[in-house]
Amino acid sequence: MGQRFWNIKTLCIVAAVAVLAFLPRYGSDYAVNIGILVFLYMSLGQMWNLLGGFAGLASLGQQIFVGLGGYTLALVTQEYGMGIAASFGIAVGVSVVFAYVISFPIFKMSGVYFTIGSWIVSEAILVFFRNWKFVHYDAGYNITAAYKIPMGALYLGALAIGVGSIALVYAVLRSKMGLALMAMRDNESAAEVRGVRLYRTKLFCFLISSAYTAVTGVVLYLNIAYVKPGAAFSIDWTVCMVFIAVIGGLGTIEGPIIGAVIYVILRQYLYNFPGISMIILGSVAVAIILLAPKGIMGAIRGRFGVELFSVRRRVDERLE
Amino acid sequence: MDQNEKTPLLSVKDLAISFGENRVLTSVSFDLRGFEALGVIGPNGAGKTVMLNILTGILKPSRGRIELCGNDVTRAGVSERANMGFGRTFQIPRSFENMTAYENILVGAVFGNGQSEKAAAAPAARILDEIGLGGRKRVFAGKLGLLDRKRLEIGIALAARPKVLLLDEAAGGLTESEVAEILAIVRRIKESGIGVIWIEHVLQTMMHGTDRVMLLAEGRSMVCGLPGEVMASREVEEVYLGVQCGRKRLDGN
Repeated sequence: MGQRFWNIKTLCIVAAVAVLAFLPRYGSDYAVNIGILVFLYMSLGQMWNLLGGFAGLASLGQQIFVGLGGYTLALVTQEYGMGIAASFGIAVGVSVVFAYVISFPIFKMSGVYFTIGSWIVSEAILVFFRNWKFVHYDAGYNITAAYKIPMGALYLGALAIGVGSIALVYAVLRSKMGLALMAMRDNESAAEVRGVRLYRTKLFCFLISSAYTAVTGVVLYLNIAYVKPGAAFSIDWTVCMVFIAVIGGLGTIEGPIIGAVIYVILRQYLYNFPGISMIILGSVAVAIILLAPKGIMGAIRGRFGVELFSVRRRVDERLE
Repeated sequence: MDQNEKTPLLSVKDLAISFGENRVLTSVSFDLRGFEALGVIGPNGAGKTVMLNILTGILKPSRGRIELCGNDVTRAGVSERANMGFGRTFQIPRSFENMTAYENILVGAVFGNGQSEKAAAAPAARILDEIGLGGRKRVFAGKLGLLDRKRLEIGIALAARPKVLLLDEAAGGLTESEVAEILAIVRRIKESGIGVIWIEHVLQTMMHGTDRVMLLAEGRSMVCGLPGEVMASREVEEVYLGVQCGRKRLDGN
């Protein structure tokens, strides 16, 4: 019965992805564009959730990696004439090295100091890019390679990034590191007393999250097609990641999926209210936090015990 | 004389710690052997939990030495100590609330004992049976009652196959029959060769669950011996129960 349920659930997830993959064939351009945004923001939310929801690293500096992804795409295609595919590999390499380097100062801080520290580093990067001749200062780049990509292909790329982010987080949480992360999510100091190596676990988590955020940044800037420091390294990216993870449900895989759908749809609607859009967005966040402190998925899980992507360790029935 | 008697499992020498001007521990020394349970009593604020925090590496002592099986572990980190053989429970249970009882035990086995999840599965199931949670493997720790959470904490520590088990008020807040259950579990642990240090205010557990009792007061280990002797000692009366103070008042001095 249990195994059968799992098979049906897996089949439903595969079918849902397959249906989504055919959206460009039967959906409007508007629907396809919404789909691209949902998948990419979902990926950003998943990566922030891995940090803030599991590893206790409430970073306000993850926009660094969105920006690095965007600039890697621009430099690789514009300055060096390489293909878009190369941008993904280079973005991963650059972001992992950069994340590792900044981990030394910011990992010396914890709690709110880590949050502030990560934000300060991101602001320093913004200032650096604005004053860096090699990247044309504040003028930025038109990413001409992005113009050649058909919307359908971009959609499938975004879908792959979104599904890949879920698969990555699922794989991490199913691994030994995932067991450590779940223990840390519940009680960090108790996890350490039980033998969990906090620093190493957090560092791996930071590197994985940063690298995938940069990969997502590459696809985001294939969609935007214009990169400049103020937008690429804007804290707005991280604010939306936090919004998505928190309203969806911190420390759950399903949370950022729900959060991204709500965020993207809400943002589309709020374009009609440019002056007060952020106020409305903030009010929605506050209302959801008050009504469901563990986010929407946390509330659903608490009431119905539903988990779409369960990372529970199942007791071997032979041992019972 | 066998090896057990020559080298203590745990040897604590002249341990001291201060928080600013506040000298919490000034000189704590004791030895613990395998198959032995050492009870630690003392008034509130005597530094009993601070001592456990030093033993598990959460706090660094300003002076003193901790040896496990003859090796100096004084400067080892928190997770390192868990790997070396220090298991611990907390006064207010700190199990992982959003994880099942089985997953909680896995954390101890995988990170404390270095086992793979697959290799840890059978021992984890056995430990759950031993601590009386065999029927609640899939229940989230946050949904367990106080006795079960205390049992689970002991189980997590046991899964790491500790040499020394540190119990911080494992019987606190439990009913008499529940205390008896914890006593039985601790007795079985001790008989398996693990050394137990047990901080407790429930004196019944000190009398029936320990081999020796140490009085910790005024920042130092004041007296250590057989439970009955220590409980009847003048030091316990004076410091722990405040009898002399009462007598003085009655005498008018």
